[in-house]
Amino acid sequence: MAEVSLPRSRREIVLDLARAAGVAPAIIGLLEGTASALPRGESADLAILSAAVALENQAIAIYDHGTRRSLIPAGLRHYAVEFRGDHLGHRDTQVAILEERGGKAPEALPESLVGSVAAGDDWIRQALTIEIAAQDAYGALISQIRTKDYLLSAAFILVDEIRHMTVWRRVLGLKIY
Amino acid sequence: MKTASSRRALLHGLALAPFAWLARAPRAEAKDYSGPAEVLDAIDSLEADVAARLEAIAGRLSSARPLASSFLADHARHRRVRAIVRERLRLTAPPVSPASKDQRTLDGLRTAQEALVYAHAEGLSALGDAAAVDALARNMIDLARHLTVIDLWLEAEAARG
Repeated sequence: MAEVSLPRSRREIVLDLARAAGVAPAIIGLLEGTASALPRGESADLAILSAAVALENQAIAIYDHGTRRSLIPAGLRHYAVEFRGDHLGHRDTQVAILEERGGKAPEALPESLVGSVAAGDDWIRQALTIEIAAQDAYGALISQIRTKDYLLSAAFILVDEIRHMTVWRRVLGLKIY
Repeated sequence: MKTASSRRALLHGLALAPFAWLARAPRAEAKDYSGPAEVLDAIDSLEADVAARLEAIAGRLSSARPLASSFLADHARHRRVRAIVRERLRLTAPPVSPASKDQRTLDGLRTAQEALVYAHAEGLSALGDAAAVDALARNMIDLARHLTVIDLWLEAEAARG
């Protein structure tokens, strides 16, 4: 009998991506709903920054993979270029904040870890998955951010993630309002 | 002593970002809200402006009515959320001045919608309460989606010439 794969929930996808990116257990607990808050203080921001950089690295790897292997339909490449640029900006801004506070940023992901993705809709679905994960993660973590400067940056990053997600949903013919 | 305003911190972040992200200059002019009352009052007023524009456009263009109806239903839900936040923070809502109905351009709607999204993004750090941040961030997620839908609408109009 053929193996049937069950559809995974958004939360499961976010958790899988977060675990694969090496996100700290405290953040995983918050994302899976087994913890309601992070410890107070600068360490909370450092943990969130580190998790966010890991997710941004994953997004950059997917866009790089799609660009290098020509997986993105020609009429949509301008979106991919724009969104990759956003993710680079998000990553570099958060790495700078992290390092300014004495933290160490997670390493960039090798493109080889992206896995097998076909051109066209398959790649778009992959990009949408990471954008949903980013939106869910920032949405879940933003109220735990303790410092005003990072909260302001994270809010604008979240706005960008929503834009990416909405565009890919529209491209795939999914409901956007 | 306050050593860095949120605006300067944002500029610092932007200065470190690559060009693509830096290019969105309006973010470098982030407003510093004095507290949660000012944030909530600004959002009330900006939401009323967007709503008036949506109603004006939907009145003229029947194909825009489902979109306007969906966005306005989100606004109604957001107002209920803000009422709960005000109650939690023991704030009162001032009366909102009715916005002009003579605002029918899509470009004008986009500008007003962006201002509403930015008020949320810039206001979160002035709320000083994690539950309020969570509630308004969830509203902001809807509003950022609305902004993208309007952008896609503008792109489609431009493609049609």
